[in-house]
Amino acid sequence: MPSLQQSPHDRLSVGSTALPLRPRARARLAAATIAGRLAATASRAAGRGSGASIKGKVMMRLDPGALGKLLAGKQIALVSGTNGKTTTTHFLAAAVRAWLGSDAHRVVHNADGANLHHGIASALSENPTADIALLETDERVVADAIRLGRPKVLVLLNFSRDQLDRHHEIKALGRSWRNALAAAGQNGPMVVANADEPLIVWAAQTAKQVTWVNTATTWTQDASLCPNCGSSLVHEQPSETGGHGGHWHCTGCPLTQPAGDYEVRDGTIIDTEHRVWDPQLNVPGGFNVSNAACALAAAVLMGVTPQTALMGMRTVSAPAGRFATVQIKDTTARLLLAKNPAGWAEALPLVQTSTVVLAIDSAAADGRDVSWLWDVEYEQLAGRTVIATGPRAQDLAVRLSHADVEYRCIPDLADALASHRDPVDVVATYTPFQRLRKMGGV
Amino acid sequence: MLSSRGPGSQVEVVLVYQSLLGIYGDRGNATVLMKRLAWRGYDPLLTVVEPGDPLPDTGHVYLLGGGEDAAQISAVRALAADGGLHRAADRGAAVLAVCAGYQIVGKTFTVGDQDEVIEGLGLLDVTTTRGPVRAVGEMLSRWEDADGEEQWITGFENHGGYTQLGPGAVPLAQVQIGVGNCNDGTEGAVAGTVIGTYPHGPVLARNPALADHVLSVAIGRTLPPLVRPEVNELRRERLSAVRKLAR
Ligand SMILES: [Zn+2]
Repeated sequence: MPSLQQSPHDRLSVGSTALPLRPRARARLAAATIAGRLAATASRAAGRGSGASIKGKVMMRLDPGALGKLLAGKQIALVSGTNGKTTTTHFLAAAVRAWLGSDAHRVVHNADGANLHHGIASALSENPTADIALLETDERVVADAIRLGRPKVLVLLNFSRDQLDRHHEIKALGRSWRNALAAAGQNGPMVVANADEPLIVWAAQTAKQVTWVNTATTWTQDASLCPNCGSSLVHEQPSETGGHGGHWHCTGCPLTQPAGDYEVRDGTIIDTEHRVWDPQLNVPGGFNVSNAACALAAAVLMGVTPQTALMGMRTVSAPAGRFATVQIKDTTARLLLAKNPAGWAEALPLVQTSTVVLAIDSAAADGRDVSWLWDVEYEQLAGRTVIATGPRAQDLAVRLSHADVEYRCIPDLADALASHRDPVDVVATYTPFQRLRKMGGV
Repeated sequence: MLSSRGPGSQVEVVLVYQSLLGIYGDRGNATVLMKRLAWRGYDPLLTVVEPGDPLPDTGHVYLLGGGEDAAQISAVRALAADGGLHRAADRGAAVLAVCAGYQIVGKTFTVGDQDEVIEGLGLLDVTTTRGPVRAVGEMLSRWEDADGEEQWITGFENHGGYTQLGPGAVPLAQVQIGVGNCNDGTEGAVAGTVIGTYPHGPVLARNPALADHVLSVAIGRTLPPLVRPEVNELRRERLSAVRKLAR
């Protein structure tokens, strides 16, 4: 049976089934867990979703130390960033499970994407004996999770504008990561970081060890100024350098793209030993090759071999409903999630059907301000028939009319999806995406 | 005032520093102006200017949008060094400055936790300092157009700075719902052909009368009406939503 490598600072035994807690602390956590489970059951019965978040909320109200206790003694990898967290964590979980084989139950993973304090606590409590936790982590939770969980590995994917009504400055998030890594020092995680993203590079600089991944990122609109000194950054076209790094540098200080330990090139992943891997993933898009490269780097740090890691990653096809093809009544629909301009820039080129449904909402989880619609190049949909749906369909309609794209506005999501003879691609913001998952049973 | 321009003639829209001042979909204001010109038979030309490139002296409209603190400082320095925006305002070109853009065309604004005071471009007699709470949400204000007709302006505001008007500026509009300049009932500021305002959305997509006002200032003549049902429907929806939220 293969076992995962341990980092030197892991003092707690990995593989023990008991939580390393004093009896009173354990009893409090157990009571909180039971109360949380009851609340989740009630929430599910009332049709309010999986109940994962409410469960965690109740647990942490009864035991404010619950998250720290649940994380204690585990070998942890965290995955964060604006886009791709869920898919990347699924890749990593599949890689580690493939490596563990019959011991795969040792892994706990917040597979549903509940990635705030409550959601993570809830996921961990579902499988308290698991000793390996692979956790998608919201950008705002990373600093706490580093402090409370002493993760072994931290994957930092990217940073772009998202929900600006809540996160006013993305740089403040980057600074919180940088400070948490500095404070953790030698007890901090080994970081896997996207070398294409200046803010990620700056945030990761304080880590004890960084594995850089050249991800061939194309979205640079949120990286015009140096996070270190505020001077302007120069981005070279990837073609000019042939994907060999050095794509960006600061005009005012030495900050520049680090040489990649891993590199994404023409849809392949080149590892630290210059081996070229064809990932053959079962999710579409170049950005998912980048996500896979980051997951691969993390899996290798966890002790998994690249062959096994890739074998595992190929089993991922619809992480938390993303890219799933579902049947909604008479309609065959492929579900794509896009939460922000960078996400839309990735998703729209994947659209293949002649009719495409775009679902827009502005609930808290989507961002209440839909100004971002004007940062998305909907012009590329010209020639297709677009159905605008969701509570903010009319905002999209105005955007589409200014993009010379033909559209119909059908605000109700079920009506918009009714009776399409041919399959349709559906691109949705977060809230309608969750509704679509439910409608499609994924 | 620029010489009056009729259909068929070229109208240049200058999008200023999109990489620094474009965080809230602000390029949408340019898209809207371009389309409204094209729909009326004009020949619109979009010029996107980034720091390091000189601002053209040929533009009819100059657009500035929202950005983070560091971007705001970078933008105001580059614009002060360039001087093109001052020349544009002097020759009567329209300048629409939204959110952070509004703050930097004022006299001073502050950034960061230490409230560092930064010199603005001085095109509007306004000063901005950090407010007690960040203003975030749908907003509604009442604006009187050139014909003296009252119009609703709908948008989404998201700003930490509060702006006070000096004697040389008049408010653009009166706040009905939201914070606006500084919770004093006023929204935005106007001086000559320069307009500053907080709401994005982008503001011109949701407020066609304001868009046409900016265009008529730019081309020196009143434009014929243009009815876009989808825009009217969006306005109906947003006005009803903001009033429901405010109750
Ligand atoms: Zn620098």
